[in-house]
Amino acid sequence: MPLRTWRRITWAYHLIFAASVIWPVQTLVNTPDPFIIGLPRQMAWAAGWVLGSLFVLWRLDAARTRHLQAGSPAGDD
Amino acid sequence: MDKATLITVIIFAYLAVTLAVGLVAGRRASRSVQGYVAGDRDFGLLVMYFITGATVFSAFAFLGGPGWAYSRGAAAFYILTYGVLGMAPWYAMGPRVAALGRRFGFVTQAQLLVGRFPSRELSALMAVLTLAAFVPYVTIQMRGAGIVIEAVTDGRIPLAAGAAIAYAIVLVYVLASGVSAVGWTNTFQGVFMLVIAWALGIYLPHRLYGGVGPMFEQILAERPELLSLPGLTGDGEPWSWGAYSTAILASAIGVTMWPHLFMKAYAARSDTIIRRTVILFPTFQIFLIPVFLIGFAGVLFPDSPDRSDFILPFLILRSDLPAIVVGLFCAGALSASMSTGDALLHGAASVVVEDGVQPFRELSDRGQRVLMRVVVVAVGSLAYLFALVEGFSLVDLLLASYGIICQYMPAMLAALYWRRATTAGVVSGLLAGSAVSVFFFLVPELKPFGIHEGILGLIVHIPVLLAVSLRGTPQDDDHVDGFLRV
Repeated sequence: MPLRTWRRITWAYHLIFAASVIWPVQTLVNTPDPFIIGLPRQMAWAAGWVLGSLFVLWRLDAARTRHLQAGSPAGDD
Repeated sequence: MDKATLITVIIFAYLAVTLAVGLVAGRRASRSVQGYVAGDRDFGLLVMYFITGATVFSAFAFLGGPGWAYSRGAAAFYILTYGVLGMAPWYAMGPRVAALGRRFGFVTQAQLLVGRFPSRELSALMAVLTLAAFVPYVTIQMRGAGIVIEAVTDGRIPLAAGAAIAYAIVLVYVLASGVSAVGWTNTFQGVFMLVIAWALGIYLPHRLYGGVGPMFEQILAERPELLSLPGLTGDGEPWSWGAYSTAILASAIGVTMWPHLFMKAYAARSDTIIRRTVILFPTFQIFLIPVFLIGFAGVLFPDSPDRSDFILPFLILRSDLPAIVVGLFCAGALSASMSTGDALLHGAASVVVEDGVQPFRELSDRGQRVLMRVVVVAVGSLAYLFALVEGFSLVDLLLASYGIICQYMPAMLAALYWRRATTAGVVSGLLAGSAVSVFFFLVPELKPFGIHEGILGLIVHIPVLLAVSLRGTPQDDDHVDGFLRV
């Protein structure tokens, strides 16, 4: 995917992340069971978004590196 | 050697290693303001990763986090999310800030803002607001260090003496070596606290309940209110969704804007290192999971500490752990406290001198460095006096500081991205937002839906910034291009 698409995905991901851990979306994920690897579901939900951020930013950076190696200007992140 | 002596020996060994690391680190940096404040713009990925992670994770995370999980249950989950939300914008903003630092020689946040919006008063205002936010933050770190040392020595070294010993060490290496000491001690301390947190977070639930899953099953059976968001208040009443949600948003904005973190963008060797630091930050954030597990492990424990902030040392001391584990835990907690406290003291001194004094009375490079050291001691002493005062929670104090720091966000975004912003707009917005934030902090019963005072401040701040800027004369295009075309 081109760099611009990854930029949009990254921004969208973090906006959805923010919306998902506050009212009202978080009220939809507000029972501790089923436990996920022993953790209450809300805690695993938050941890999942945090780890997803690692993945999305890593992919954005990889796309940026490919883009620069192809000789294109990076533009503004 | 008896248990208490062994614990004391481990603590002092840790403090000695920290001091040595801090003093040796400073020998590489140049003797200049740029060396003292920005590490000659030469920090690599390892140091940037730990200086960011260990600075964000403080006594608040190590003691306040378990304290919240223990006493307020799911309310603590807000702490898990905001760090990454606050750090992610740095992927784009960090390299831009660093480039402006290189172009104009900036070493502080306010210098960038005042570079775009020339005003000595704005510089002084930023210095005052930053100092007002830093003092309670340093106070938290000092209390954290004192709490741990008092607890593990069974009161033989009281809070006042413990905090004084730990922060005397911090003062020595910050005075001698500036940000280089902060960077390398944070690396040492970061490794330490990560290892200790994970080890204890997995060990304690297994020892007390037979595993993490069984622990939460028991809590769900006996205290289900602790596992339902938004958790409880400090008084045990249900917390409001408004307060929970806006605590996340205000804290995320705070992480993006804290001056002592912001300044580290100037210290990185390259833009790639800033981006990689941001990418790796979630690996540090996840360390809050074991920290919470430690707090939840205390929920069904037969005894309880006098104050929730004491739950971690309380459990450690009552779990019949070997002395060496207790000593290492104590060193880990001190790491958390000192790794944030040192960055704050260093940041406070840099901001006061560079933003509060230098615009009004130009000092030589040497004069600036001398005055910074004086301010490090003054701020440290002031925070120490506050640390001795009883009667507040670590996290409540931190949340209050975030209210002020949130107000930097619109001004900084305007400086970096909005061509039409004016000095009058930025100053008006900052004053209005800060006034609203302070008002609602002082009169919390008037806050609608429990919304965080920092967010309420922003609700006033942003329209004021927009309206005043749009009514004023636009800035000169060449001047604006210097900041927007990076």
